[in-house]
Amino acid sequence: MCWVCEKYGNGEKWYLNPENYARRLYKVRKEGKESAGADADPQAAGMGAGVVAELVKARISGDQEWEDEIKRDALEQAYQTHFGQVVTLDEYLQILDIAYPLAKMTCGCRRVQRGMPDEENFTCMGIGPGMYKWERWPETYHGGVEFVTTEEAKEWAMMNHKEGRVQTVDVFGTPYIGGLCQCEYPGCVAVRNRIDYDFKFLLKGHTVAKVDRAKCTGCKSCLGRCQFKALNLEVYTSKAYIDMDQCFGCGLCVTACPSEAIELIDRQSMPGLAENW
Amino acid sequence: MIAQIGFDYNLCTDPLDCRKCLSVCPSVVFVCGPTRVWKGRESDPSEYRIVGRYFDKCSGCGDCVKVCPTNAIQLNFVPREQLAQKFREERAAQLKERNS
Repeated sequence: MCWVCEKYGNGEKWYLNPENYARRLYKVRKEGKESAGADADPQAAGMGAGVVAELVKARISGDQEWEDEIKRDALEQAYQTHFGQVVTLDEYLQILDIAYPLAKMTCGCRRVQRGMPDEENFTCMGIGPGMYKWERWPETYHGGVEFVTTEEAKEWAMMNHKEGRVQTVDVFGTPYIGGLCQCEYPGCVAVRNRIDYDFKFLLKGHTVAKVDRAKCTGCKSCLGRCQFKALNLEVYTSKAYIDMDQCFGCGLCVTACPSEAIELIDRQSMPGLAENW
Repeated sequence: MIAQIGFDYNLCTDPLDCRKCLSVCPSVVFVCGPTRVWKGRESDPSEYRIVGRYFDKCSGCGDCVKVCPTNAIQLNFVPREQLAQKFREERAAQLKERNS
């Protein structure tokens, strides 16, 4: 269990706790001045806000203390309002049974980073009562929303997993979960900022992938599945290698393996990784 | 060397619809977002701006400059240490202001 579970899990994983999908999502309100056309900072577009612009400067300056301070301040804010965590496909499907309503919406990250047109960009799943308010903030819900049934959402989720997208839960006003993302490096700002700048807006999941070297045939089916730079082929032994320190536990490699040679293990069961979120 | 990427916003007026530089960049250096957010309607296309947020990842391939239909992008490289010095000064000023 991660720190979010300890605080909001009520004895289980926090994103499987129905309380975190409750109507109190409404406590997040945009400030009144925005209705008049509030100033927005294009640097702040996408998750991680203007923080990354500062992080880049700190990186270039070589000032580690500065970088640490930016991250500490930004994460303190993020963990109270808006952050994400990687989940497995099984967990994602369980969430779809808990959350209602469900609506496909366009991905802000891919719009921000690639300018993806709306019609090609319905890759996010918005959930909860916030979906009924989308017309109030059409910029946030660019291109509108498309309500789907639980079964349609599950089918779509499985397709996304098959296609190789990492699935995450996102809170909008901790601990209320308002979205499920299908992410990739570097198109997803959260994944990118975590991998490139070690900005822990996105938390690792509750599992870690482990290779059974006896079962691995070196078929390479899993290569290309990892979005976290944690997987490659050990060329000399012709076995898959997973950097477990770097693994986020999404399970994309697991389902690609025809030999059942990769297993998802509970992070907490491994002392060396238990605190690695 | 580190990239310094500038946009002439008089020339780049509808970046989200154009999106050529966003699409071509092999290092995903650019971000494009609204400068104003409104209740009840989407931001106007002219309210969008592109910036080179991840300029530290820029290789200097120049594809964005080549692909830009309005020649709105200026790409220059400066020595890392020169930029580091500038940012260290910014940081020092920030700390000084905080402690005053």
